[in-house]
Amino acid sequence: MRATVWSGRNSVQVENVPDPRILNDRDAIVKITSTAICGSDLHLYDGYIPTMKRGDVLGHEFMGEVVEVGKGVGNLRVGDRVVVPFPIACGDCWQCKHERYSACENSNPNAGLAEKLFGHPTCGIFGYSHLTGGYAGGQAEYARVPFADVGPIKIEDDLTDEQVLFLSDILPTGYFGADLCDIKGGECIAVFGAGPVGQFAIASAVMLGAERVIAIDAYQYRLDMALNKAGATDAINFDEDPDIVEQLKLLTGGRGPDAVIDAVGMEATHGHGALHTMERVKQATRQETERGHALRDAILACRPGGIVSVIGVYGGLMDKFPAGALMNKALQLRAGQAPVQKYLRPLYERIRDGDIDPSFVVTHRLPLDTAPDGYETFKHKQDECVKVVLKP
Amino acid sequence: MKGKAAITVYRSREEVERLWRDSAYRPKYIGDADAAVTFNDAPGDRGTEIHVDLERTGRGGRLGDVVQKVVGAEPLAKVKDDLRRFKQHVETGVISRSDGTPEGESAERKLKQRPAQPLDEAELQKAGI
Repeated sequence: MRATVWSGRNSVQVENVPDPRILNDRDAIVKITSTAICGSDLHLYDGYIPTMKRGDVLGHEFMGEVVEVGKGVGNLRVGDRVVVPFPIACGDCWQCKHERYSACENSNPNAGLAEKLFGHPTCGIFGYSHLTGGYAGGQAEYARVPFADVGPIKIEDDLTDEQVLFLSDILPTGYFGADLCDIKGGECIAVFGAGPVGQFAIASAVMLGAERVIAIDAYQYRLDMALNKAGATDAINFDEDPDIVEQLKLLTGGRGPDAVIDAVGMEATHGHGALHTMERVKQATRQETERGHALRDAILACRPGGIVSVIGVYGGLMDKFPAGALMNKALQLRAGQAPVQKYLRPLYERIRDGDIDPSFVVTHRLPLDTAPDGYETFKHKQDECVKVVLKP
Repeated sequence: MKGKAAITVYRSREEVERLWRDSAYRPKYIGDADAAVTFNDAPGDRGTEIHVDLERTGRGGRLGDVVQKVVGAEPLAKVKDDLRRFKQHVETGVISRSDGTPEGESAERKLKQRPAQPLDEAELQKAGI
């Protein structure tokens, strides 16, 4: 089959690789109809996530048609149309039984590797380095889906691929980020990053009842999408004024947002002059994995007693963590890879009910064979790119 | 700390002890090494803790030499592989396999990962799948 493989820093290629096979009774094989490039794929592309290998098949946002099921998969049949969540979860361990699917204790066969870096292993993830299991991803014609009786959700309406594809990751991830903010109604929520996940964090905060939602980014076209499509009430373009903390104060009568969502992660671009330069150097020489401006500013901007919700991806260690602000302002720091399986059904219903149409983030549609162009366009934000969907 | 490992399995102590003795589940390496194994109830109905101590044998003696003979280097890593596979097998009914680690959790594979792309026929046979 054709598949997008990682071939070193800033390099992906579409190559012929063997077709996937059922390896366990609880596996299914899915023929992929739509797949997407995620912002977190750019961290792999840029070479900042450790334990990538040349030849790794990328991609963790995909959907398609079931073409084969193992004998332990009772809920799916050949021909079913499914969306596959990016975290691989067994559904049986103590964590899964408590709906913390991204902390699944059984789905990562490289648990020993992950334990060395993170203290504990976390779930397996499709196409996302060997730390998260070494699973082939879904920017390909076919994918093997382990624990297919737990993850995939059947799509039985005539919704288009683009309306449901993002159930695989970015819609539940954005929603999870907003859910962590304990929104009860009337809050002010600030969202760092107006990429696809940030757009859905904004839309979710609005759905959950936030009164003001402030989008923060350096690209006006993304802020325009946040204001016009996602439902943000205000926008800060830090390309015009980099002092985000002060601008957030002014927008909130001096108090600061009740909660701040970091939908940026490890490759933040703004930062303060000298610190940003130092971090670029440390990251380039692999002395530090994170450029942590977004998380630092999130902590500094959040009102005392508020919540900082981290859904942007980090991979290792970060310098200059503002522990003093975190502690003295009595902040709650919450984070995680989204437990997608928990949110699949309710978010599918919201899409069916018309509460949200996630296809608004799609700006580029490309054939799978042009995936390398898709990575470049997305990385450099050319042509007002927000989200790239690939068609095998 | 050296030579000790533990894991928690989300099943009752009775079931865990029974399956531990069952030839279909019994961890081979830990069994061959005859390490001391104890089972405790985890707090809050969270299942059963399995504790393995490589410094003592199941008969109460010291182990060291036996371990080296059976496996060579890194006995603790092999014990941890065994515990994770046992937990996976009991809780999920399968051993988790990926393209990078097709045999399932394995100390030898940690540093010799396959690329995360599907295996061809020859590799599948070699991995015993």
